[in-house]
Amino acid sequence: MSDFSDIDDVPQPEGADLLAAELVLGLLEGEERLAAQRRVASDVEFAALVAAWQERMVAMTDSIEPVVPPKRVKKRLMKALFNAPAVPLSERIWVWKGLSFAAIALAAYLGIQQLGPEPPVAGDVLYATQLTGETVPLQVLAVLDPLRGDLTVSRVAGEEARGRAFELWAILPQQAPVSLGVLPVDEKMRVVLPNDLRSRAAEITLAISDEPQGGSPTGAPTGAVLAASAVTEI
Amino acid sequence: MERHEIETLIGRVALNDRAAFTLLYDATSAKLFGVCLRVLNNRAAAEDAMQDSFVKIWKNAGRYQANGLSPMTWLITIARNTAIDRIRATRKGHQDIDTPGLELAATGAGPEALAVAGAEAKRLVNCLDELAEDRGAAVRGAYLDGQTYAELAAAFSVPINTMRTWLRRGLISLRECMRRE
Repeated sequence: MSDFSDIDDVPQPEGADLLAAELVLGLLEGEERLAAQRRVASDVEFAALVAAWQERMVAMTDSIEPVVPPKRVKKRLMKALFNAPAVPLSERIWVWKGLSFAAIALAAYLGIQQLGPEPPVAGDVLYATQLTGETVPLQVLAVLDPLRGDLTVSRVAGEEARGRAFELWAILPQQAPVSLGVLPVDEKMRVVLPNDLRSRAAEITLAISDEPQGGSPTGAPTGAVLAASAVTEI
Repeated sequence: MERHEIETLIGRVALNDRAAFTLLYDATSAKLFGVCLRVLNNRAAAEDAMQDSFVKIWKNAGRYQANGLSPMTWLITIARNTAIDRIRATRKGHQDIDTPGLELAATGAGPEALAVAGAEAKRLVNCLDELAEDRGAAVRGAYLDGQTYAELAAAFSVPINTMRTWLRRGLISLRECMRRE
């Protein structure tokens, strides 16, 4: 058995493909793993190699027989997602991991600001989400404070096409999107929410669509939805 | 349920449609629970992992359309990664493999490229069997049991570097076999 320098010397793209396979298998660790994950986010060709290995490897689960889970799991799940007065700790941790460090920093910053000189209110809850463009490099963080009834939006990355605008929408289940306005070019924006949105803050999904300059002429989204994400309690 | 039906449901879930989420759960939870059980080999842990998987599915459905994966691959990958993370959480120096974004990233892969990978996948099991027996076992151990290079090396009594060389050679043969057959 030779050492593995011969494999490390494998020229790209061979090396990249092996790295993608190792990432899918969960074999990379430490710095190498982080670097590969960053590469998935920034290098579409590498992301495609990863996706191809995911498609291949998943065949190992073909022979696994489905097992009907107990009914209580479904009940627990629906309760956790849809009428949880308090989000279970484990889920909360996951939510935190799902938000970028920047989002957490922003939420913390806003949290401190909003509480301001007044004492913190018991049961105070904030919601936040990160909107990430699917086809365009757009990243927007949003923090919703139901107590104040406002939404603060911060654009981290992304630029409109020439003559176009990013319009922000709030969507409640089974309802038409409500425009919250066009994202300003200078990054931060604060919007006061209409009462019906304010009272159902936990159910809001935020979305950003591509619109003509000045926003949708019809009051409903007319262009492509570039990003959408439900808010989560933080 | 057909592929396009599951895809449609995921699309509706992305718009916060709870009814669609219920249908998606009913259609796919048994498979996902089976996968979690296979990885964790413990019902309570598998129930938790499956529940966490569906929470992720609810929250990230909006990112599905762009990643190009077939819908069942996307769902099963989330369940598998969640279960593997749970198994590894008990081990020292654990790092989550399922950092959000991994199976959710937008890829540049066109539908054709992934259709090819999908067709190749059908051959995976045969090709794994065709590999030198222990290499096939190592790939399965990593994917289905979450074994790390260090654990695989210990299991096969070889140094870690040797294990890595070995497994990477196995992956090259595997890919060639899947393309060839």
